[in-house]
Amino acid sequence: MADLESRGVPVVAVATTEFIEAAAVQAKSLGTDPAYVFIPHPVQDRTDAELRALAEAHAEKILSMLTG
Amino acid sequence: MRPLAAGAQPARPGPSQAGALVSSEPKWGRAAVSFDAFSNDGLIAVVKRDCPTCVLIAPVLAELAHHQPLVVVTQDDPAFPDTVPSRVHDAALDVSHRLKIEIVPTLIRMEGGGEVGRTHGWDRAEWQRVAGSDGIGGGLPPFRPGCGAKNVEPGTLERLKIRFGETGITARRIEIGAEEDEVEAMFERGWSDGLPLVPPTEERVLRMLQGTARDPAEVIGLAPPDLAPATVEKIAINAVMAGCKPEYLPVVLAAVEAVLDEPFAMHGVLATTMYVGPVLVVNGPVRRQIGMNARGNALGQGNRANATIGRAVQLVIRNVGGGRPQEVDRATLGNPGKYTYCFAEDEEGSCWEPLSVERGVAPGVSAVTAFAGYGLQGVVDQKSRTPESLSRSFAECLKAIFNVKLAPACDAILVICPEHERTFRDAGWGKRRLYDELYRLCEIPGEELVAGAKGIAEGGPESLAGTRVNKFRPGGLMIVRAGGGAGMFSGIIGGWAASGERGSSPVTKEVRT
Amino acid sequence: MSVLLDPTAERSPGIRPRLKRPERLDGLTVGILDISKPRGNVFLDRLDELLSERGIQVRRYMKPTMTRPAPLPLRQRIAGEVDVVIEGLAD
Repeated sequence: MADLESRGVPVVAVATTEFIEAAAVQAKSLGTDPAYVFIPHPVQDRTDAELRALAEAHAEKILSMLTG
Repeated sequence: MRPLAAGAQPARPGPSQAGALVSSEPKWGRAAVSFDAFSNDGLIAVVKRDCPTCVLIAPVLAELAHHQPLVVVTQDDPAFPDTVPSRVHDAALDVSHRLKIEIVPTLIRMEGGGEVGRTHGWDRAEWQRVAGSDGIGGGLPPFRPGCGAKNVEPGTLERLKIRFGETGITARRIEIGAEEDEVEAMFERGWSDGLPLVPPTEERVLRMLQGTARDPAEVIGLAPPDLAPATVEKIAINAVMAGCKPEYLPVVLAAVEAVLDEPFAMHGVLATTMYVGPVLVVNGPVRRQIGMNARGNALGQGNRANATIGRAVQLVIRNVGGGRPQEVDRATLGNPGKYTYCFAEDEEGSCWEPLSVERGVAPGVSAVTAFAGYGLQGVVDQKSRTPESLSRSFAECLKAIFNVKLAPACDAILVICPEHERTFRDAGWGKRRLYDELYRLCEIPGEELVAGAKGIAEGGPESLAGTRVNKFRPGGLMIVRAGGGAGMFSGIIGGWAASGERGSSPVTKEVRT
Repeated sequence: MSVLLDPTAERSPGIRPRLKRPERLDGLTVGILDISKPRGNVFLDRLDELLSERGIQVRRYMKPTMTRPAPLPLRQRIAGEVDVVIEGLAD
């Protein structure tokens, strides 16, 4: 993620809430402020319909972090 | 550091020193010693084996130990001296630092938790007085000077000051993780001009600050565009990153002072779409003292002082002021001089006064002149034998700056190489004579400048026809001698369209240590 | 670990600022990078549809394996072909 940003490409990463702490620790140690959107854990046992609904529910947030 | 007079008494240490201190966590893996033991009544002797005087007085320590409490602190060899039953091995030099030892051997008398007497080197009368013991040292010469203590060796002293938080440095500390490469981390934080930087560790910055007597907190100027205070400390950090030696710092400080001076109009110079950046010309004894280049390839690469002094100034504007390309810096093309553009004038043997003297600095005083300029336009003339002919070569080239259709265009520095300067010297042309000739030759018939003339749309209004317009404003031209001894190749450094009152004026500042 | 002294005016927090984003996505290309964790593709496929419905150009990429960072040629390709990236789905 940091690599793409260093090439001039803004990135937003989508992760489950399980990842919140890991993301914070990595950000602190690298001194960065990466853009994340967190969706509720878990993902593995969700149906396709549930995953599509999650995408719809978070699409606006994701897009807003790609602009402005 | 205090001067090293034998037997001189340093100021009594304050209550915070004696006894109350406990060694902090060692950073370099050597066992630090608890300081509590040093507040008890009695004597403390600090020695090192690598000191002939310490070896000489080793028997005296045995004498003293028989009659009163004596703690012997050894700075290097834990087995030295073997004349006493035990020693404290001050491997990390914490104890010596806290006791403010500068010379070994040092003898200190403690009473009531505080220091009541001290002497260093070997002076029998002094040792007897401090120890309160009349008969000691009878078999030795009355006096022998001591040696420099290990804890004040260069490098060691800085590390100790850093460890004990005594550096007076206030900049934010940035931790770089063990997995990160320092050089990459600095690139990623946006500190770099595109080339690698020297990591500004506390040790390096402390060493850099020793290049000046000025207070690290002193504000040299406000750096645009953020108008942030450029303190001596912040400038030193950027000077470390640029690759400067500490002895260059006074020149860097004078250069920053010059570019941040109001008439230089640094914000405009930074924000312009034109080419310019600060160009630095150094005069005076400092050039040779720090090994600057005024001769062959003076405007090119290869000389550390030339390269890093200019770079330090650019990094200060970038990092302290926040001025970066494609942000506030809107230069269309810029020019390579924006990495660094700093050189020394070739004063020795020149028939002309140095630029600094021309601009009001006393002869023999070092100074930096900052000029908003760019690039280098060559002036090739390998045939002129007279000052008149050579002046015309210069003038025709000067008139082409920016565009032959534009006048006045900008200020300029004419860098005259030694072989060309010789032509003027042989003809007895002083600087004033050459300036007058060049200004005269740079007057242009207005009709040549009118928009459309010569089939070029660029140019001025019709009303210019019938007038004469000078390529330069009065005082807009500066002459400097520089370059190698072989080659009839001079150069022109063009300036910024907004010059003088309307824009940037050159600024000269003296170098202060 | 090493400690460096801050050469800046310290007006921003001690972290690297986020890369500047474009004002709008109109006319830009969005890359969707699948980091190859199971089920992520369903989520990303739906995002792809939603973006395309809005007339936004989308390009899809996939890491060869979830256990290692994206290889350099892939990163270079993405940087050359898109303006912004959505990366997912980490769990």
